Amino acid sequence: MTAISALLDADGASVYSDDDFDAVNALVRERGWGDGLPVVPPSEQRVAAMLEWCDRPWDEPFATMAPRYSGVTPLLLAANAVMAGCRPEYFPLVMLAIEALCEKQFNLYSIQATTHPCAPLLIFNGPVARELHINGGNNAFGQGVQANATIGRAVRLALVNIGGAAPGIADMATHGSPAKYTYCAAENEAASPWEPLHVERGFPSDATTVTVIGAECPHNINDHQSLTAEGVMMTIAGTMATTGANDIYYPAQRPLLVLGPEHAQTIADGGYSKADAKRFLQQHAWLALNRFSPENIGRRFMVTFRDQYANAAPDAPVHAVKHAEDIIIVVAGGVGKHSIYMPTFGGSTTPVTCALKRRDGSYVQTIDECRRA
Amino acid sequence: MTEIRKRGVLAAVICSSPFMNLGKAQARTFGVPDLRLVEIPHPFGGLALGSVQVRAAAVIPQLVSLIKEHIK
Repeated sequence: MTAISALLDADGASVYSDDDFDAVNALVRERGWGDGLPVVPPSEQRVAAMLEWCDRPWDEPFATMAPRYSGVTPLLLAANAVMAGCRPEYFPLVMLAIEALCEKQFNLYSIQATTHPCAPLLIFNGPVARELHINGGNNAFGQGVQANATIGRAVRLALVNIGGAAPGIADMATHGSPAKYTYCAAENEAASPWEPLHVERGFPSDATTVTVIGAECPHNINDHQSLTAEGVMMTIAGTMATTGANDIYYPAQRPLLVLGPEHAQTIADGGYSKADAKRFLQQHAWLALNRFSPENIGRRFMVTFRDQYANAAPDAPVHAVKHAEDIIIVVAGGVGKHSIYMPTFGGSTTPVTCALKRRDGSYVQTIDECRRA
Repeated sequence: MTEIRKRGVLAAVICSSPFMNLGKAQARTFGVPDLRLVEIPHPFGGLALGSVQVRAAAVIPQLVSLIKEHIK
């Protein structure tokens, strides 16, 4: 018997399987509950251990998840976190990410059901992210760190199993991307010459936050030659201006630029604040109108920006981002003169930042505070 | 369309073939499992107006049947 035995005995609450790794995974594959990789069997004991890090009522929904618009309960989410391979102490951050994704302005329905390859990207800031060793350094968006791999994976499994976005059923992505397995990293705050993302977005530095963005996979920005801030940013601007990203076609977009620490330092050494860098990039990231197909000009720009382009010259600039302040900049990564750029789903999704809080609204300082008494 | 259907008004959603499963699932989710989906070939995006008109003409008989069924 565990603390959740009574909940699991409710009608429809549980699915039973032989207590065998292969049998559980065969069931998961048969029901379409996985991501193609083996899962950790969500036994009663493992789910109960996960819920020891949740002080909300375990069977009460705390969010509503599109496209099924079903209630997300800690119990359901904990099962997915176990399957993903999360350590129990990661669970408060998994819940935090789900809360953020289910905020109306993120528009999870569109991110889930679209043909676009976007995936929810989780960027963590603050002391608990460091305490749990969420990687923001070398290979930040790659493999190898349990926190990055499993927190992002738990979110993806929940999006499928609770939200209902199974491929071909509700997830209509043309290609999808590897980011749909897991897409989770921390900002490398120690390596940043500027204020971290969560402080920029209005939170105190000792808050732990997640910022969720409906983002494409990273596009690399490789510049090992530029010696000045302007030089590096010209390379970045050139990568940002692309005909194939949704952002350039909308009046409001919030793409993410992840500066590697070496590029960030070069830009800061040139006297640029984050805001200055955003202004430079917004001004310099553009393509001539005649780089776009006649159909895109006629059916998109002449519709959305009719006043601006109705009588424009063929080489009139089309800016990748319309407002400098909408560019999101974080610093992450290890050594090497690379940065990465993530265009987004476009104007109908807005990034959301949520903070890990105590019941009284103050900010959690250490993950142990989230353990049930 | 959901709200229109819930008021008892005949409503149909035009849906290209690969999106029929999503359409049916969403109709169930929003409490209108009988919301009619009119299936058209895919892709629809990027078609010139003339091709759109051909697709529209092809589904008119379906729409006529739906209306006749509704008013019986």
